[in-house]
Amino acid sequence: MTAVVPAAGRAAQERPGVLDAGEPERAARLEEALGDPFDPANPHGHQALLRADDDREVPEATEALLARAGLAAEFVPHDLGGRLTDLEQLARVLRPLFRRDLALGYGFGITSLFAASAVWTAGDPRQQRTLADVLLGGGRVSIVHREVAHANAILRNELTAVRTPDGGFLLNGRKDAVINAARTDTFVAYARTSPEDGPGSHSVLLLGPEPPRSGEVRRLARAETPGMRGAHFSGLELADVPVRDSALVGEVGDGVSLALRSFQISHCLIPGTVLAGVDSVLRQAVRAATENRPDGRPARRGQRALAGVFADLLACDAMAVTGLRALSLVPQDAYLLAAAVKYTMPDLLREDLEELATVLGARGYDRGPLYGGFQKLGRDLPVAGLGHSGTAVCQAVLVPQLSTLARTTWFRSDEPPADLFRPGAPLPAFDHRRLAHFGTEDLLTATLIAAADRLDAQRSHGPLHDTLASIARMFVDELRILRARCTALSASGSTAFDPQACALADRYALVLAAAACLGVWEGQAGGDSFLARPAWAVLALSRIGRRLGAPVPETPPEVDQEVLAEVLQRCREGRSLDLYATQLAG
Amino acid sequence: MDRVRCAAPLHVPRPAGPWHGVRDNLAVLGNALVYTTWSEWLPSVLTTPRLRELLGPDWDRYRRTRDAVVRYRFAASRLLIKYTAAAALATPPEYLDLAYRLGGRPYLRGFDQIELSLSHTGDVMAVGLSRTGRIGVDVEPADRFVRLDLLETQMLTPVETRELAGLPEKERAVRTLRLWTLKEAYSKALGQGLRLGFKEFGFSPSGRLRAPDGRSATRGEWGFATHPVMDRFLLSVACHDTGLNTAGDTSVETMLDRGFLSAMTRPPDPDQK
Repeated sequence: MTAVVPAAGRAAQERPGVLDAGEPERAARLEEALGDPFDPANPHGHQALLRADDDREVPEATEALLARAGLAAEFVPHDLGGRLTDLEQLARVLRPLFRRDLALGYGFGITSLFAASAVWTAGDPRQQRTLADVLLGGGRVSIVHREVAHANAILRNELTAVRTPDGGFLLNGRKDAVINAARTDTFVAYARTSPEDGPGSHSVLLLGPEPPRSGEVRRLARAETPGMRGAHFSGLELADVPVRDSALVGEVGDGVSLALRSFQISHCLIPGTVLAGVDSVLRQAVRAATENRPDGRPARRGQRALAGVFADLLACDAMAVTGLRALSLVPQDAYLLAAAVKYTMPDLLREDLEELATVLGARGYDRGPLYGGFQKLGRDLPVAGLGHSGTAVCQAVLVPQLSTLARTTWFRSDEPPADLFRPGAPLPAFDHRRLAHFGTEDLLTATLIAAADRLDAQRSHGPLHDTLASIARMFVDELRILRARCTALSASGSTAFDPQACALADRYALVLAAAACLGVWEGQAGGDSFLARPAWAVLALSRIGRRLGAPVPETPPEVDQEVLAEVLQRCREGRSLDLYATQLAG
Repeated sequence: MDRVRCAAPLHVPRPAGPWHGVRDNLAVLGNALVYTTWSEWLPSVLTTPRLRELLGPDWDRYRRTRDAVVRYRFAASRLLIKYTAAAALATPPEYLDLAYRLGGRPYLRGFDQIELSLSHTGDVMAVGLSRTGRIGVDVEPADRFVRLDLLETQMLTPVETRELAGLPEKERAVRTLRLWTLKEAYSKALGQGLRLGFKEFGFSPSGRLRAPDGRSATRGEWGFATHPVMDRFLLSVACHDTGLNTAGDTSVETMLDRGFLSAMTRPPDPDQK
């Protein structure tokens, strides 16, 4: 692969200090092809997608459009003939889809990448070729998870694989809810190969696309989930299904480790794509708040919520994009950040939806094209994040490292490369094989500490600047408290853990979110754009700080006003409510 | 999916319990509802040597509160939350960090297997717990004097106003108060309190969530119930089910996957690139 893949596409946006290479052209084409979401006659608009959701059907016309656009090639690495070069670009290409329908984003596709990631990470060339051919040929790949602690319907139960005399495996077992199980013959299964719980309990096996030599792969009844109603979840049961030794991805016993390595992709991509759904609902809330207002300004009551949710979206994007960029720039050290992104952001976005309920009022129960997306997203979002089972997976990554981080990393590590915090700047090609789940480099705390120092050194650049400096300092103080508390935790080394570490991991993840915002804000330095000015960072950080229960200084009123003005202007101009301010259809 | 079933309220007279009903309801129904009185829990506030640990970050607020009655009530309500949650999580209550979301809704930091809600009025306190999704509770005195005309104009949807119009005044007052507690419970479940306009959503006589024009507003993911408590209070609860079919086990000890934990704590494999 080449070292640097410049984003092909529209001319780089001429913003001083900002290195955005521009919206990938295929993202812009997809947005255009999907068209005006509010047009009730648009076959890919909200009305059609809501109807499919009502009927628990896949939106076929839109899936056909995505297939014609060859979207599945986005999930295949470039050197295997696909278009996957870096994950930040992938998230941008997928946002047009997620702005309209999370279930479509999951069902069409993104879950194929989650399944294939283990093979891109550790599969042999033949296995990679097989999956690439399936996806490039318009097919799907389903992931068959192992059962994890406190599993929900999607993660409960698992397959077991027993060695056969010919060196292969015999698969048995069932899962209750596997997305697209009825729409594919290709599965990446995390199957139990050892009865003992431990790091080597599971192995990854590639099943299909050819039918098995014997035994039976049964698709059970459709699992009717209350969220993502249109996505196709169904039960899957394997009875004495043999696979050859060549189906084994990596080595026997690699399953848990491979999950830890390849889940980093979904940990960053999920928040990095589902935020686009909240972007749409925020636009609906702005519409509701400004409709019939003579001056086009929302009533005072709604202003705070609109500005606050927009700041949260930027914070979510800052953290997700930093994670996505880390996977290209520092893949060996990205796993803690990735877990923190997934741990923090789906929950924050859900909270934002509820805050928008106060602005939408009665319109929030409407089922039409203008506002119907709100209720749908409220149902879909918890499924996307997988709830407690999903957060517990992230906690299992963060909790064991806290003690070591506190002793050896925080206040000692060096700042990461500045490119980490430049959304849209060209990235080296992403290489799955370099993902790791060891090491105690957390990437972002050094940025927080250094940014707080730089802000302090520049006091008197203006009142907002000073407020930002104070808030940044407050997060450094929080990290100091965390260091003391986490140092006192017993050192990792077994599967026992101190229950108090769960709350500390929560606080640590919020500190990383603040650090990502500061990093991205500093990365815009030199410009006079909205993102280069301090208002959004002040608001985003003060909301994160309040979630920490930290003593957040009062924010000046102009903070809300500036952020509100930006969200209103972007809505008027039809631009996305994320870091990129992309031009939208309709 | 099945309609959400809300657990009946259980009286828990002291921190020592009994808690088995809470654990049972949580395991079977996915939610649990507890009520008690301030006077029953006060002795624990006054005698526990661990009050500071139990209050955690709320200790400062406790110390800052000058009025002794307000202070003790505050402490008793936090103890009720922590002991109830501790029963569900099978962990010591002082290990729990009670935090607050931006809208004020309390939650257990780091333990999202349980969501909770608190309400108190007069002598009574109530806590709701859920493992399936959001939960909100509201308790009001059943004989609360209400200015019916005022309450109706401020919180009823046109459909609700129509439905209550023909009723005798006494029944109207009872029904209005019930609607009030349901609306409080729902908005607390969303974490929004009074910021949610109460005329912008309503309830059917059977307690189903409706849009202001009377159309059904949900697809069965919400359950609502109202219970009389101690003959003089009305306790309403709003329970959400995200439909993920969550694990019945909510204990802390089992929540982190042993496979992941052991792989994370294994020394790095020298072969790994």
